[in-house]
Amino acid sequence: MPEVTLVAESGRPAGTSSSKRLRLEGRVPGVVYGHGIDPLPVSVDRKGLRAVLHTDAGQNALINLEVGGGTSHLTIVKELQRHPVRNDVVHVDFIVVSRDEVVTVDVPIMLIGEAKQVLANDGTVDQSMHSLTIHAKPGNIPNEIEIDVSELAIGDSVRVGDLKLPAGVTTDVDGEEPVVVAQVSAVAVEAEQLEELAEAIHEAEAAEATGEGEADAGEAPAAEASEEG
Amino acid sequence: MLMPRKVAHRKHHRGRMKGDTKGGSLITFGEFGIQALEPGWITARQIEAARIAMTRHVKRGGKVWINIFPDKPVTEKPAETRMGSGKGNPERWVAVVKPGRVMFELGGVTEQLAREAMERAIQKLPIKARFVTRAGVEAEV
Repeated sequence: MPEVTLVAESGRPAGTSSSKRLRLEGRVPGVVYGHGIDPLPVSVDRKGLRAVLHTDAGQNALINLEVGGGTSHLTIVKELQRHPVRNDVVHVDFIVVSRDEVVTVDVPIMLIGEAKQVLANDGTVDQSMHSLTIHAKPGNIPNEIEIDVSELAIGDSVRVGDLKLPAGVTTDVDGEEPVVVAQVSAVAVEAEQLEELAEAIHEAEAAEATGEGEADAGEAPAAEASEEG
Repeated sequence: MLMPRKVAHRKHHRGRMKGDTKGGSLITFGEFGIQALEPGWITARQIEAARIAMTRHVKRGGKVWINIFPDKPVTEKPAETRMGSGKGNPERWVAVVKPGRVMFELGGVTEQLAREAMERAIQKLPIKARFVTRAGVEAEV
């Protein structure tokens, strides 16, 4: 996994107002911790952080964090706090890692291919797990875990145990946990029920119309007879 | 329509809707979502109307998740009633929504179809809302 460098400034003032001022200046407040060091409040340039998080490795990029004073830490992003409406990052946690120690990270699960059999049968490919928690050394963290769904049929599923993890990567997640399930969609079932209901109404109306016709035919002679009488 | 099976108190205070949502601002189950941009009360009828608008447009395939639940009773006094004599009768159920809340989610369909379906659902809601995608949220820094 390639490393990227990010420059951070230490010694930022703590607190809500100071953090707001930092954000207005185009910086993101954050904190560095882990591996026995004291938690260190830092701030990083928003554009620099964006560049770091938009590599192929995504959020799991190995970051060489150069904190003011010439100190450098090998880190990964532990947590990103986002604004609920604007979605921009309001705070970032960096955790210091060692190249020889196993770390726990979440890796995104990506589906590749098109499940033609499922789509042909009005089914849906339901991805119930979008990321997998793995244990790996920083150099072995995969960018993503790919699952080929092109061979899936209705009723099939891919479980955690079926995933092919790269060498040096393990997971504690139960192997029976479903990741992807191909099933008949509830929307399709509802549409089918609506069609059936419409058909039933149509049949009932048709039956009523024929029944009325017969009744009219039956009643008319009687009416005529009474008039005659 | 959605409503609680049983409640501890039949009538609630109206409350205030200050600030942004505290949680539920991320897409959790599906790939696409409807995110509130204003605070408001969403009634059970509006939730049902939005759901139907979405499912009718998607026709086949796809899965819908509703992330909000109308658990707040709203009371009304009968028409032409003099003030006083206590609080009115519970008339409908609403979900309290604040800006940022992802109210509905959709998965198993293309982005184009999801966008069309969700734009229709947004029309059924009493607040400003927008279409969001899982990838779009994660891409922003």
